[in-house]
Amino acid sequence: MGEDPTLTAGPTVSPASPASPASPASPASAVSAVSDAFERRTGPAGAIGEDAERIVRACQDMAERFRAGGKLLVFGTGGSVADAQHVAVEFAHPVIVGKPALPALALTTDMAVATGIARTQGLDGVFAAQLRLLASPRDIALGLSAGGDCAGVRNGLAAARELGLLTVALTGGRDAAEADHVLAARSDDPLIVKEVHVTMYHVLWELVHVFHELEAVR
Amino acid sequence: MSTVGEPGGIEALYPFLAPAPADREAVVADLCASTRRKAAEIVALRRSLVALHAERLVTCARAMAAAFDAGARLFAFGNGGSSTDAQAVAQVFAAPPEPARAVAAVPLAQDVALLTALSNDVGYDLVFARQLAALGRRGDVAVGLSTSGGSANVLNAMAEASRRGLLTVGLAGYDGGPMAQEGRVAYLFVVPSVSVHRIQEAQITLCHVLWELTQRVLTGEM
Repeated sequence: MGEDPTLTAGPTVSPASPASPASPASPASAVSAVSDAFERRTGPAGAIGEDAERIVRACQDMAERFRAGGKLLVFGTGGSVADAQHVAVEFAHPVIVGKPALPALALTTDMAVATGIARTQGLDGVFAAQLRLLASPRDIALGLSAGGDCAGVRNGLAAARELGLLTVALTGGRDAAEADHVLAARSDDPLIVKEVHVTMYHVLWELVHVFHELEAVR
Repeated sequence: MSTVGEPGGIEALYPFLAPAPADREAVVADLCASTRRKAAEIVALRRSLVALHAERLVTCARAMAAAFDAGARLFAFGNGGSSTDAQAVAQVFAAPPEPARAVAAVPLAQDVALLTALSNDVGYDLVFARQLAALGRRGDVAVGLSTSGGSANVLNAMAEASRRGLLTVGLAGYDGGPMAQEGRVAYLFVVPSVSVHRIQEAQITLCHVLWELTQRVLTGEM
């Protein structure tokens, strides 16, 4: 980088200024690659609407658990680690002022605990072991898996079921998950699955609050 | 925009929602409709980004690929939900789906010892700027996410990154906020929405598309 990029590239960069003049694709075809990339999102994101009732039913059950004093325990592996933490912060620190904070914990933030458990139970046993320590039967377990075979999340959900928790799985691709509520993103691309999951858990958070408040006015 | 979950309480937003059990199914039906509207909203919002940002995404991807070829590391940062999105961005660059090329990428909100030390000793507004001062080198890439475009620590980090000759990439919502001011970031991607949730959903797509385009340039496909 010979020049300070902040001086050479402003917010309104001309399309006719590719960094590499020898690049094989013309600006027009590069722009159409962008358009294709966005269009690949349309089907899977739109399908969330088709899954509306599944999502709403999950929220109804989750709100009942919160109302009964339960907490939300969230987990995932790889890219879904970030989502587990995102879900926990949505519930524990609501973005909308005036919404009550609901108890939620991500099981993905403590490397000391995770690697400690992994030493004896293996990496795939980390969430199950944490749930056995932290969970009570009235809690909710939410496992996220963005595609591929995620044994750690599967084992976590299985342990949660044994303990009597309400189980919710956000999956995608060809993932098979056993849970009370399985919400599957309809894509084989783990990045698109992740994007669908973000919308799904934003909606989960919002609708859980609707049911939660509805219970409160009874 | 959202019709539920906004201030005012659900009675105001759903006046027909009597608490009688018989109305439970009416609630469910209404929330299904609300969910379908949100799905339609995010689809339309993402589509609108093509016209707004396609050319800038391509230019930015070329600059990032050139930086990575020259040995750049990527640093990603944000607050709250955006900190997890920054973590996800770093994750996809550093541990991408096979067979994509992995590049060095570090999220700046993941080290709790560092974050609490800096917050306690220096102030939260400088938690990312100080890390960039220590870790950043000329030619590295700084990616900052803020739905408002106004998070002080993200803006301070962008300023520090610019001073040190890093390539700066900013993601904001609404009208871009202070992040959209002249000279703050080299490549700015604003998601024109007033819903924090829809902004985050669209921002992660922008980051994924940017990653995909960067990979295409790195492999000579683009």
